[in-house]
Amino acid sequence: MSTTTAKRQGTPTSEVDRPGSHRQHEVLRLLPAPLLIIVLVFLGALVLIPVLYIFLASVNSDIGVANGEFWPSTVTFENYSKIWTSVGLANGLANSILVAGATAVVSAALSVSTAFVLVRYTFRGRLTILRGLLALQSVPGTLMVLPVFVLFSSAATYLGIQVIGTQWGLFVTYLTFAMPFSTWVMVTYLRGLPKELEEAAKIDGASNLGVLFRIVLPLSWPGIVVSGIFAFLLGWNDVLFASVMTRPESQTAAVALQIFGASQEGGAIPFYGQLMAAALVCAAPVVILYLIFQRYLVGGLTAGGVK
Amino acid sequence: MSTDASHEVRPVADSATGRAPGTIHEAGGQPGHKGGPRRKGLSERNRPLWMLIPGGVLMVIIIVLPLLLGIYMSVLNLDQYTLRKWVSAPFIGVENFVEAVTGSPLLHAVWLSVSYSLLAMVVTLPLGIAAAVATQNAFKGRAVIRSIFLIPYVLPSFVVATVWRTMLRPGGIVDGALGSVGIHTGLWLNGPQTFWTLVLVQIWASWPFIYLLALSGLQSVDHEVHEASALDGALWWNKLRYVVFPYLKGPLALAFLIGMLHHINNFTLPFVLFGVPAPADVEVLPILTYVTSFQSFRFGLSAAMAFVSLVLVAIPLFVYLRAVKLDDAETPGAKK
Repeated sequence: MSTTTAKRQGTPTSEVDRPGSHRQHEVLRLLPAPLLIIVLVFLGALVLIPVLYIFLASVNSDIGVANGEFWPSTVTFENYSKIWTSVGLANGLANSILVAGATAVVSAALSVSTAFVLVRYTFRGRLTILRGLLALQSVPGTLMVLPVFVLFSSAATYLGIQVIGTQWGLFVTYLTFAMPFSTWVMVTYLRGLPKELEEAAKIDGASNLGVLFRIVLPLSWPGIVVSGIFAFLLGWNDVLFASVMTRPESQTAAVALQIFGASQEGGAIPFYGQLMAAALVCAAPVVILYLIFQRYLVGGLTAGGVK
Repeated sequence: MSTDASHEVRPVADSATGRAPGTIHEAGGQPGHKGGPRRKGLSERNRPLWMLIPGGVLMVIIIVLPLLLGIYMSVLNLDQYTLRKWVSAPFIGVENFVEAVTGSPLLHAVWLSVSYSLLAMVVTLPLGIAAAVATQNAFKGRAVIRSIFLIPYVLPSFVVATVWRTMLRPGGIVDGALGSVGIHTGLWLNGPQTFWTLVLVQIWASWPFIYLLALSGLQSVDHEVHEASALDGALWWNKLRYVVFPYLKGPLALAFLIGMLHHINNFTLPFVLFGVPAPADVEVLPILTYVTSFQSFRFGLSAAMAFVSLVLVAIPLFVYLRAVKLDDAETPGAKK
């Protein structure tokens, strides 16, 4: 449903948008032109100046950035060759991709089947689960981090399973915290799919699993991708759990960047150029994902928020 | 998990695509509902409820169990010495809560969290609405502008915080720019001004969220409404104020609640922006809870603080859950 609704809303009645229909444009106009330009320029500058700064500082020398230059006096790309070891970004990115990627795949798979049951069948406690999906997204991370940490250390003490410091601990944690939102995305998506196909398949003797794999899955790729991306972002962006539950070798990119950034203040020559280059590299996968799937993602965000 | 405010986006429930008859019936819903016995039978027989088990097990182990554990820990005298054998840590009742309220900066932290969240919200609302109103109508380059507007929202919080930390550093680019026009401000990352730094960066990071929801509200304005106000010759300001804004009330109320939850739960932004121990003026609730656990090792006390933050979050959350419609509209012939 997410995408269909978004599409419907995203193209406000085509005859209005047809180029050349000047009258229609006047009818829809919300702001006088000068004010419109002021708003666009102000907000555009608000966003683009810091973004431009990241780019420029990332190709500036460390000293240049430290001196407060906006335009680099010397353009150099050596920041980008240093950060892999100085920030530990090679290791961090590998861990981030591994953990967030695994979270995305498993979370998407689990949320499809969970949402399928929630949307297509009725049972006692169904509404409670739906409400729980929304409520769980607001549980403060800081509330959970200590008990989860204690639970994982107890697993080592009592069961002999070492979880803290490994990527497994992070993976399980992210997977769990990603599930409510991913499932909700799938619930809204599956609701928009026509039920008739599934009913026809059932009449032809398909099992529940058959319906899920042959009918629902092929139809819901856009929803699955969106739900997987949100799970990926949760893992990629987390600092709280990763800062507590990782060792240097299992550190994610977010923690590597945070530690590197925090350690610059005391140093004689702060490596700000490298810091900005590393920040840019950490942001790149997220921005690329967003650009590719922009239409679906935005649809997933606002779907249904209207009425 | 709400460690990261700017990226976690809540879906907004209440789907507008109410499919007419044939939607699922809620167990315990009104009997004799239109929908037909055949369909009802289909969804009630042979339910693969086992598919809920993997997710359910995860929820129980990683969320419900720790939640209970956290509440239990808040009544224990738990520090770095007793943590290893937390099961046998001494029970001290409400002492942690008493200490949290009387002997720690908890109340100050609650005040900071609420005031910073509200302040950021008060500024992001007009920014988001202005952006939505400005990009609602087609013009050349609108797609690019829309993508640009969403950049702050897409960037990971830890990247946003790292960049602003570098820009706001003493002698950094912000000081340089302000200094060149004769404004000399004090420190941004230390001292009393830090509170405003946090508010500013939060505003920069989260106004696009308001923009998104405002945009979806604008798109629900019927074309006839535009025509009617054009016929009446309404001035742009009156048209916005009396015709368009009423459509935004719902989405913006939702944005307000969700945004408040994000801000109150936001750990990453203050943590990366200021580091720990944070300046006293930005020791918001998540930071205080974290520091009490992982810097002072007062785990019991920290659990008590975390419990307070749960209560704080529960207020907007409760309103949100009440307002949201969980299921499809069951009414036959619901608006498609």
